[in-house]
Amino acid sequence: MKRGIARYSYINDHRASLDGKTIATARGEGCFLTTLYRALKIDYPRFFKMDNLSKLGFLASELILEGDERRYSRGEEVAIICFNRGSSLESDTRYQATIQEQEDYFPSPSLFVYTLPNIVAAEIAIRNKIHGETAFYLQEHFDARALFERVSEAFEDAGTRAVLAAWIESFDAREAFMTRVEEYDGEPPLFPFSGDTIVKLLNKSRNG
Amino acid sequence: MDELIVNLKKEIIEVLNLEEVKPEDIADDAPLFGEGLGLDSIDALELIVLMEKNYGIKLTDPSQGRELFKSTRVMADYIRENRKK
Repeated sequence: MKRGIARYSYINDHRASLDGKTIATARGEGCFLTTLYRALKIDYPRFFKMDNLSKLGFLASELILEGDERRYSRGEEVAIICFNRGSSLESDTRYQATIQEQEDYFPSPSLFVYTLPNIVAAEIAIRNKIHGETAFYLQEHFDARALFERVSEAFEDAGTRAVLAAWIESFDAREAFMTRVEEYDGEPPLFPFSGDTIVKLLNKSRNG
Repeated sequence: MDELIVNLKKEIIEVLNLEEVKPEDIADDAPLFGEGLGLDSIDALELIVLMEKNYGIKLTDPSQGRELFKSTRVMADYIRENRKK
């Protein structure tokens, strides 16, 4: 079975794009992720409870899955594989601040639940009723070859027909790059699935 | 207007990140869980932290929350009787 990239999305702290076309840009003050959520007219109040890592992954998946008629009906055959460098350190740091001082020691349960990076994969899975493999890997730097290999391994599971593969960073930079890799036997999707293609699409997205 | 209830609603909105809810959207007797604001178990824990941090009320038995978090009016009445801050 052949594999190809059907769609790809990109979000940083001031711009979002889908398949290389800009969808929204930051205007004025305020968090761009909230601006993007509202611009996309999403009705999912849980979004506001998420940490920035989960918001990034959630919005990147919303861009990629919008309009997909099988979005909620193929959960068994979709996997989610994510990567980043900074793990959940942004939330870890915020949680640490709630337990730093003995006289002001109020550990926050809602911050604590996001002190694991793979929660973003869970948030995407809950939203889209995805029941396939979910995984989160740490890399020193974005590594397209490792992403290609891990996604290829996910397809070795006979039930997997599509993978949402993403680089999602929110600690020392804010950026999400997500691809939807699909198996196909008829009409090919947008791009061939290879490490070189992934690098090309990421660079194109970063450069706007 | 009960000032404590108004402040409590603002605190709940802030601590639970209910960005699209305004204090006036929450009726004094409306249930906070279930069909009310749609809060979950993590929210309940966060409300327990709020009671201790803002009012010095330590709930040692989490099951107390079931009765206490029925509505903002019930919460406010409990705070009035038991607050240490």
